[in-house]
Amino acid sequence: MNLSLPENKRLRFLRWFDFRSGRLGMIAYILNRVTAIGLVVYLYLHLAVLSILAGGPAQWDAFVQIARSPLFLTLDVILLAGILIHGLNGLRIALTGFGVGVRGQKPLFVAFMLVAAVALIAGALKIFAG
Amino acid sequence: MGNSSAPHVLVIGAGSTGSATAHDLALRGLRVTVVERGEIASGTTGRNHCLLHSGGRYCVNDKEGATECIEENLILRRIMPHALEMNDGLFVALDEEDYAFKEKFLAGCEECHIPAREISVADALKLEPFLNPNIKAAVQVPDGVFEPWRFCTSFLATAKRNGATIHNFTEVTDLVFQGSAVAGVKVFKHRTGKTETIGADLIVNATGAWAGTVAAMAKVDVPVVPTAGVMVTLGKRFNNMVINRMHKPHDGDIVVPVRNTSIIGTTSWRVTKPDAIEIPQDQIDKMMQAGELLMPVLKEGRQRGVMAVARPLIASANVDARDFSRTFEAFNHRKQGGAAGVITILGGKTTTARGMAEKVSDEVCAELGVTAVCKTRETPLASYRMFYN
Amino acid sequence: MALNVTLKIFRYRPNQPARCDTFDVTVPDAANVLDAIEQAWDKHDRDLMFRHACHHASCGTCAVRINGREKLPCIAPVRDYLDGGKPITIEPLRNFPIVGDLVVDVTGLFQRQEATGFVITRPTEDSLDGKRVDHTQCLAPASAAIVPFNRFENCVECGICLSACPTMAADDKFFGPAGLAAIQREVDKTDDPNARARLLDLADDEQGVWRCHSAWECTEACPQNVNPAEAIMDLRKQITARRFKKLFAR
Repeated sequence: MNLSLPENKRLRFLRWFDFRSGRLGMIAYILNRVTAIGLVVYLYLHLAVLSILAGGPAQWDAFVQIARSPLFLTLDVILLAGILIHGLNGLRIALTGFGVGVRGQKPLFVAFMLVAAVALIAGALKIFAG
Repeated sequence: MGNSSAPHVLVIGAGSTGSATAHDLALRGLRVTVVERGEIASGTTGRNHCLLHSGGRYCVNDKEGATECIEENLILRRIMPHALEMNDGLFVALDEEDYAFKEKFLAGCEECHIPAREISVADALKLEPFLNPNIKAAVQVPDGVFEPWRFCTSFLATAKRNGATIHNFTEVTDLVFQGSAVAGVKVFKHRTGKTETIGADLIVNATGAWAGTVAAMAKVDVPVVPTAGVMVTLGKRFNNMVINRMHKPHDGDIVVPVRNTSIIGTTSWRVTKPDAIEIPQDQIDKMMQAGELLMPVLKEGRQRGVMAVARPLIASANVDARDFSRTFEAFNHRKQGGAAGVITILGGKTTTARGMAEKVSDEVCAELGVTAVCKTRETPLASYRMFYN
Repeated sequence: MALNVTLKIFRYRPNQPARCDTFDVTVPDAANVLDAIEQAWDKHDRDLMFRHACHHASCGTCAVRINGREKLPCIAPVRDYLDGGKPITIEPLRNFPIVGDLVVDVTGLFQRQEATGFVITRPTEDSLDGKRVDHTQCLAPASAAIVPFNRFENCVECGICLSACPTMAADDKFFGPAGLAAIQREVDKTDDPNARARLLDLADDEQGVWRCHSAWECTEACPQNVNPAEAIMDLRKQITARRFKKLFAR
């Protein structure tokens, strides 16, 4: 039952990011994959950061100083964007799997992304204000 | 299963005739190889209006063709029920002249044993809401609809199950002679770019409208008249049953529903070369106008597909192509003083493909001294998908 | 009126480098892209391999990619692609092994379809004019009983959805949109609870409905409005409901 291809099988995952159609469903699909990879990378970064704790209070305080820099806060906003997009898109896919919004998957995506945008703006304000 | 000591028959062409012939011969225990230059059903069979004829269309002017149609129609319903739309057909009279034709039509149906039942105009309109409301009479007959590619692959899948080998994209470039008899073919395999020779005890030329090309390689003549017809497919299905005009076959007098479309058929003109026929716009316009008389709603239908292809009709002297009989004939070229080893099957329709296969297979068996009888009437066909197995 | 167009056709044979050939063809105004391909074959290169049969979107054999998008060229009018004389690119479907030029090996598709037991006909359920017509008295003696009008399923098994699916592109073990849509049709048609359970079992698999990642490309590309994505979502709903029922039945 193999639909095998004449090209390198290992690189086939790149087709996840094939933007050829440019349709909303495909955009959501690509966004979901990009954010997923981003979140996995973050998870490991997070573990690395936590390991600084082992170096004692002084090291940690030094890190916290860096973490308050505008560059770091921007990265926090990007992280929040990834969480919102991936989470809400996941919710949309779960909903369609229960038969909710199947016909309206595109408006549903737009609506969820608007929610993500509003939450992101609110979150960004809070991050930079705090 | 293919018996290695059984005679080997090579069938050229995998349209409806070639496919049904491969099935018939394989079922009789012969070794069968099919070669087809392109995709299955990519010739005349493909570009077909998909009508499983009840015979009603020919029952007045071509009783032989009509009788073959109804016999084969009833057999196909048994052997490939899952690959047919069986919704019957209506013959409707549009004007007084058509109405006057009705008695002849009903008598023709009776004579050819085509079940026919006159229904009231009101009932006809209830069954077919888009029918021209001004029809004068309606007669129901057991027309049906098939799907050409699956029609062929069903036969081929069954042939394969019984040991036949099928090579598509394999084009016959020449015949191989042994003395004055044909003993095989030279083929060009498009998949590999290689030329090969395939030996055979007998060759069946089932190339329909292209029969002349193969016959020329055997230096014989066949009376084939490639006669083109154009058909238009609409973007929507407007009828459940096949709608025919009750008169002598004419341009644009039939609307065949298939799946989610309605197909308007068909015109008729002679062509010299059956490949890649260009579609004349005036033929389309003429046919659309005639079709709209049957079902005015067709005007609103978006044109979805247009196709033209040549029918492999057998010539008769002093007769217009439209009136050539739709019957079929097997030509054993040896008996006509031509090369031995080739039998050409000509004429017919997709509906009668099984009957054509029986006729040519009988001739093949007689030629090879094989006594096996035809069993295709009662053998249900395999799923067309088993062609890919 | 005749149209002059340039076709840029993908050429390939196994173990040989792929290339693109350009063909200038003239076709009638009403012609579809398939007619143009056939003209290229007829007039320029008889070794050009392409699949075609019915020329009216019923057989599903001719599916290719036109300018990158999956289409049935038999119903794609040439005049829709007259983009200032730019060539029309014709490539084979993706996610299938290429046999030669535009021909792909559809064995995997048909084996999947066969595994579902998908019957290519169904009772007519959509009316033609809003007033539903359910039954006809068939005249053929073989079926003397009153039987419902039947018709072919919309799916023509062309493989377009498998070519358009990004998940299929990355994982060839995925059952694919066509097969899952076929299962959903059969679930819909059957009254037999055992048959229904068997069909849902087939779909309830890692490589079944759960492998789909909702790109909706199958539905976007389908030339026959089959809507495989919706069928997959419907199967997910039914399978989830079945699991919940099992959970609380004990």
